Order: sequence, then structure tokens, then C-alpha cells
Amino acid sequence: MRPLTLWRYEASRVGWTAALGPPLAIALGTAAALVNPLAQDTARILLGGLEMVIPLAAAVACASIVGHDPAVELQLSAPTQYRSTVLRRVTVTLGWTAAVAAATAVVLIATGWWERWPANHGPFVGQLTWIAPTLGLSGLGFAAGCLFRSPAAAGALVTTVWAIQQFFGDAAQRSRPGRLLYLFATTRGSEPRDWTANRLTLAGAGAGLIVLALIVLGRKERLIGEEDE
Amino acid sequence: MRIEISGLTKTYKGGVAALDGLDLVVPTGMFGLLGANGAGKTTLMRILAGIMLPSGGHVTVGGHDLGTTTGRTAVQRDLGYLPQDLGLYPDLTARQFLDYMALLKGIDDRKVRRRRIGEMLEVVALTAHADRRLRGFSGGMRQRVGIAQALLADPQLLIVDEPTAGLDPEERIRFRTLLSQFAGSRTVLLSTHIVDDIAQTCREVAVLAKGRLIFRGTVAELTRRAEGQVWSVVTDGPAPADGTVVSALPAEHGMRYRVVAPTAPGPQARPLEPGLEDGYLAVTAR
Amino acid sequence: MIAFAASLRYEFRMQVRKRSVWIVPALTLVLFLLIGGSLLRDLFDPDEVPPEAKTAVTALAVQVYALLTIGFGCLLADRLVRDDRLRVAAILDATPARETARLLGKYLGAAAATAVPILVVYLGFTVAYAIHSHHPSAIGWAAAALGLVFLPGLLFVAAFALAVPLIMPAPLFRVLFVGFWLWANLVAPEQIPTIAKTVLHPLGGYPLTALLGFHGIDGRDSWAGPVPGATLNFLRPHPTPATAWLSIGVLLVLAAAALTSAHLGKRHAD
Repeated sequence: MRPLTLWRYEASRVGWTAALGPPLAIALGTAAALVNPLAQDTARILLGGLEMVIPLAAAVACASIVGHDPAVELQLSAPTQYRSTVLRRVTVTLGWTAAVAAATAVVLIATGWWERWPANHGPFVGQLTWIAPTLGLSGLGFAAGCLFRSPAAAGALVTTVWAIQQFFGDAAQRSRPGRLLYLFATTRGSEPRDWTANRLTLAGAGAGLIVLALIVLGRKERLIGEEDE
Repeated sequence: MRIEISGLTKTYKGGVAALDGLDLVVPTGMFGLLGANGAGKTTLMRILAGIMLPSGGHVTVGGHDLGTTTGRTAVQRDLGYLPQDLGLYPDLTARQFLDYMALLKGIDDRKVRRRRIGEMLEVVALTAHADRRLRGFSGGMRQRVGIAQALLADPQLLIVDEPTAGLDPEERIRFRTLLSQFAGSRTVLLSTHIVDDIAQTCREVAVLAKGRLIFRGTVAELTRRAEGQVWSVVTDGPAPADGTVVSALPAEHGMRYRVVAPTAPGPQARPLEPGLEDGYLAVTAR
Repeated sequence: MIAFAASLRYEFRMQVRKRSVWIVPALTLVLFLLIGGSLLRDLFDPDEVPPEAKTAVTALAVQVYALLTIGFGCLLADRLVRDDRLRVAAILDATPARETARLLGKYLGAAAATAVPILVVYLGFTVAYAIHSHHPSAIGWAAAALGLVFLPGLLFVAAFALAVPLIMPAPLFRVLFVGFWLWANLVAPEQIPTIAKTVLHPLGGYPLTALLGFHGIDGRDSWAGPVPGATLNFLRPHPTPATAWLSIGVLLVLAAAALTSAHLGKRHAD
């Protein structure tokens, strides 16, 4: 196990978006719920903050991890593999996101708001509400970042995927593959019986994309070429 | 740590051959690598630092095969690298940056790290600025941080790529002295296009041009390559067209040109004793 | 003038050559088609296509613009801070070229380049539809939609995409921008306070309604004007040509304000 100090340094490398994104997401979601005049929508919006905004913030942060490291050449010459370094950064980003999301979920459960949304799936399994889309979208963002070496392109891609599923939620869920990859199945899902398969598919796809990205990162030379910036 | 390179090639996308069948042996001590921009020096440095894979050929460093992952990692454990384009993290202090680099080099023991960082900051005369953020550092100070991180793990192989570019004369001299003192029983590969840095520190030198080795020998041998080819010409007319003009200084009656040419570039040319730069030009002109 | 033209030309060239400027819209299109493509496919389906060419191309404009502008804003997010990162800022600042000229050139050049793929998609589908349906007037209506909806909206987004990352990290801007886009365009005004269907509507609700006569594909939607039960109705005057031009003007003024802030902010930082 590497020293904690190394993890602290990697946390300092992931930037303000990773640090501020999740709390800001919760703040915005809570604000939206508070100003909503329709009481029955409040629970949906609160869970929606966890299911929609938290994954977006984490994914954009993960999309920005590879691409703008000023000391990348020194990193690549060190005996610590760069993919280990990057994986530490992803872990810090997702770990912090998970901490914020979990704390929010605990508050929602304790205040009774969690169970007011009929499709909450319970306090334990229900945590897949945010875990699955966070892993899925962050895996996509991270993989895109490694492939494009461009935080702008990778960030644009994950925000667009997120937006397509927001704007065209019904169309996105017309087919079974679409339903299995739908990010917002808890709060906007059309087929409740697909929820478990959906959550597992998203989480699995995300993990798979992260593994794929780490394989791509093994080709060090790509990282010191000119960025597509 | 002996470096043995045979048949090394590196071709980039688009068919650009940065290295073209390079054969070279680098012994222990200070070794200079000269060449124009685009000669392949930085590509060679990056291959030796384990950052790039060659397209062909074979490289061993201290007996480790750079063609394997274990070989590259083994070399990197004993490597200090100062790249041409040194990037730092501007929000970290010098001490924090060195601490981070020490961790990446595998120095997990906090006491050992602290001691080494303190020593390196002393060596590069940055102790007084250790707790300042790097964004406030001058170019020379940044280079000193660069050399400090390269020396942190007491490497047996030090690769420095254009280390004195942009430094003032005093800092250049300090740098060169530091490298020479460090060399001893270690291998220091100094890649530069500033000939004077090689002249002041290295006994042996290699010259690259278009990815190939065009000279390998001692500094004295390289200098001798220009024997009988260095001329002084004073004229108030145009610069001599034959050969390479090394310098042009105002003289009493016109300009005094130092020219490297196989034959006298004019009736008024006087022969001069060659220097290392002249030898370099004589070799690259062929 | 020369500095502006040079800046515009080279910023355009640098941006239009970037692979990501083309890959992101292309992937967006593929994803959109994969989930059913909505109007994109309906344009060529005789049972689904709107009867009027004006309605068809205007609806297409809304969908293309709503979707592809997200990538547009994200791709532009770091164009202004890029000069510092690439260490060319000092060289550029040392030239006699005026900063405002360079900023305008960068703004228009980078925005135009990033908009090229969006225009290619929109005009490509429009031309295909015009040929397939024998409605050449579609091209004219598409030009109108470009000028009245795309142009002010993209200029608005581009200005903020350049300016805001001066005060926050570009990735954070991208998160906030897509949230803003959703809030400003998709959220129902009676649900939570939003600028949707107001004169600030980035999607161009007022020009769509009052200048293009667009009321949704089936003619029953409202894109501008007061909404019963909504807050901010004072920003929702009755849609008329005058209020439509007002809305366009407001977006352009806000864009100018964002750019001015960026210019002043950079000067203050230097």
C-alpha cells in the first residue's frame, strides 16, 4: 500500500471540478426541489439530484484527468506506472463523489424523503440509484479522455450523452438495450422491472470502460504527443 | 551504468525516421550528445528513459533490456531524467513537488524522503525558496528544481536533455559543475546543441545528424576533425560564401569572420587553431 | 482591422482542424439516430413528416440546435485560457495588435469553426429533405432559421463559454453549462423558475413563434409567452415580431457583456 501522502498529492492533481462538483450538484438539486411548488415532485427531484447531477459532475471530472498534466514526461519516466497514478486520481474523484452521495442518501433516508419516491428500491440496494450511473458515465468520460487526450472532447461527449438521455428519455428507452443503458431509470424509468438489470449493466459497462482506458494508457508514447488542443 | 545501442530505429507516423539504425556504446562518466534540432537526440533520450518504444533495434542499459517492461522499470528505478520541456505543477511548492516526485520514484519512507529533499535543495541552492510555489519561480530556478528531482533517488544513470537552454551564464556554469561532480562512477548523458557545455564537462562525445551517428570519440578527436579547416577572414565586403561562418565581429577595416571550410575561403584567409565548435561544424558539413 | 481578420482567420483554422470538433457532433448524431432519431428519420417518412416544409425544417433546427449546442459550448470552454497554457499569451500581448481585436477574432473564429459541423448536419438534412420531398422552399426556411435561431443562440453560448472559464476551471463550467442548458430550455416553467419561454430563452422561443410561426411539429406547442402558474412571467410578453427581435437583441447584448467582462477580467489579471 503506497503512503497516504501520495494519495493526497493525487487528490491535489484532480482539480477543483472533482472537489466542488459533487457538493454543488447536491446543492443545485436541493435548491431545485425546494423551489418546486408541486409536493409530489420534491422526492423525485431530490433523488434526481443523486441520479442525474452527481454522475454528471463525476464524469466530467474523470474526463479531465488525462490530458493536461504539465509534468507528464517526468511521470512517464518514473518507476511508478502512469496508469497507476491515473487510477489513483480516478479513485480519489469517484471516492469523494461516493462520500458526498452516500452522505446525501443518509440524510434523505433519515428525513423520510427517500421512501417518498415509490421506486426507491430500499435504503441499501437503492444506492445503485447513484452508483450505477456514476460508474457508467464516469467510465465513459475517463475512457474518452484517454482516447482523445482532450478534456474538452471527452467532457463534450459525456455531457451530450447525458443531455440526449434527458431530452429524449422516452425515445432512449424504446429498445431493451436502450433501457439497460438508461442513466435515470430510478426517477424516469419506463419499465420498473428492468431496473436491476439496468443498474448492473451500467455499473459493469463503466468498470469495463475504465479497464479499457487503462489498457490504452499503457501506450505511453501517445501521452507525450501533441494534444488535440 | 553502461548503455549499449545497436541498430536502433524510431519511425513516427507519416514515415518520419527520427532514428535510423543507430549504433552507440555509452560508458560510465560524462558523455555528450551533440546534434542539430531534429537530429534525434530527444527521441533517443526518451527511448532510454523508457517513455518511448523503439521501432526496431536493441538497447540495454546496465544489462537491462529496454525492449521489455521489466527491463524498462528496472532502468527507471535507477534513472534521473531532466526532459527538454520541463513541466512542473505550479500550485505546489518546490518542497512539495520534490516530495511528490520522490514518492513516484518509490521512496516511500518519509524520513528518507525528507533527508534527500533537504540535501537536494542544498545542492541546487534552493533551500531558501523551498516553500514558495513553483509558479513564482524564474526559468533558472525551475531548471534547478528539475535537476533536484532528477538526483533525488541517487540514480546511476542521469539523462539531461538541453539542461542549460535559457539559463544565464552563472547558472549554466553552476549546472555544468554540478553535473560533472555528480558523474564520477555514474553515467551522465548530456544532450545539447550548446557545444561549450560539452567542451567544459565531457571527455567523450557523439554527434547525431538525421537520426544517424556521424561521429563518436573524444572531445579532442572531434576538435581535430577541423584541423586545417578553420580560417580568419577580415573583409569589408560580403561574408565569405565558401564554408560555414562561425562568427562575425567588427574589425578595424570591416568585419572579421571565423570560417570553417575545407580550403581557404579567399586569398586573405589566415589559418586558425580549431575549437570544438569548429570540429562539430566540420563533421556535420559533410 | 488587420489584427481582427488575422486573429479570426487563424483561430478558425486552428479550431476547424481539431478532430474533436468533428468527432463530438458525429458521435452525437450517431447516438441520436441509434435511439430513434426522432425528427431526423421522420423527415423521410411520409406518414410522420410534417405537411409543411417550414414546420419540418424549423423543427429540425430546434432539435439539431438543442442537441449539438451542448458539445459546442463544451468544446469552446477553454479557448481563451488556452493561450496561457500554451505559453503564447506573452508573445501575443507583446504585438501591437489591439487586445479587443484579437479577442473578437478569437471569439468569432473559434465559434464559427465549432459551428461548421452543426451547420453541415443541419443543412445536410435540410437539403436531403428538400430533394426527397420536392420542397425547395425548405432551403429558404432553413436560412431563416439559421439567422434567427442558430446565430444569436450560438453567439450567446460562445461568449459565455469563452468568458466563464476565466473565473472557474473549464471542466466545472462544462458541468454547469449543461445544467444551465437543461434548465433554460427543457424544464417546464410551471415546475420551477426558469428562463424557458422568456425573452432570455437561448433556444429562441420568441423568434421561433413570432417570426417563423413555429408551434411544435403538431402545431399545438407554445414556445414563448406567459405560462399559467409560472414565475418570471414578466419576462414573457406576448410573442410578436417586436418581442422576437427584442429577444434576439437581448441574447446578443448578453453575449457582448460576457465578452466585455472577459476582456476586462483578463486585463485586470495581467
